[in-house]
Amino acid sequence: MAERQTIDARGSFCPGPLMELIAALKLAQIGDEIEVLSSDKGSVTDVPAWVAKVGHAYVGTTEHDGYWAVVVRKAK
Amino acid sequence: MASTPLFIMLASGEHEKIQLAAMIASVAAVSDRPVQVFVTMNAILAFRRGLSRQERYHGGHFHEQFMIKNVPDALELFEQGRMLGDLKMWACALVLDLEHLDHEKDLVEGLFDGAAGLAKFLADAEDGELITL
Repeated sequence: MAERQTIDARGSFCPGPLMELIAALKLAQIGDEIEVLSSDKGSVTDVPAWVAKVGHAYVGTTEHDGYWAVVVRKAK
Repeated sequence: MASTPLFIMLASGEHEKIQLAAMIASVAAVSDRPVQVFVTMNAILAFRRGLSRQERYHGGHFHEQFMIKNVPDALELFEQGRMLGDLKMWACALVLDLEHLDHEKDLVEGLFDGAAGLAKFLADAEDGELITL
């Protein structure tokens, strides 16, 4: 059964949140979702671009007070 | 379609340039792009084994902010790129000789694939995109 994992990368600067997401995806199962919390604004554009490049699924981004929650589904 | 290989020649010992090289190399490598980094000139000094962060990094407008804020360490980014992607690192044979450095004993452990000459790196780089920092 697919699971969702949250990574709190708030406070880390580029490309820290992206690298933490990628490390988590390596360990996840296909269909699992990873939610990365990031206060680095670049993550809002970097994560969807990276996901499109490598073939995972971008689920969406939610803006919170001072940070963003970006969700990715492992597709391969 | 396979991505164009990326070749980075890192010659500057400035923290800013090393940081940028590490960012480019690691992000490209985890984006399914083969990357090779050739470390030469002043840059090799920052890769010596056993240095503190203060001894290793200096130079550039953003150096102090890199040191005090939660910016990923350049060496850790290179290591992550190697672990999560296709990233190879080569130490310039010339500067190793001049500084009497052995890449296996004197440089950061596990980071380099070996010592290499410039001609080999340039020949390989003809098949990709070359960035010099």
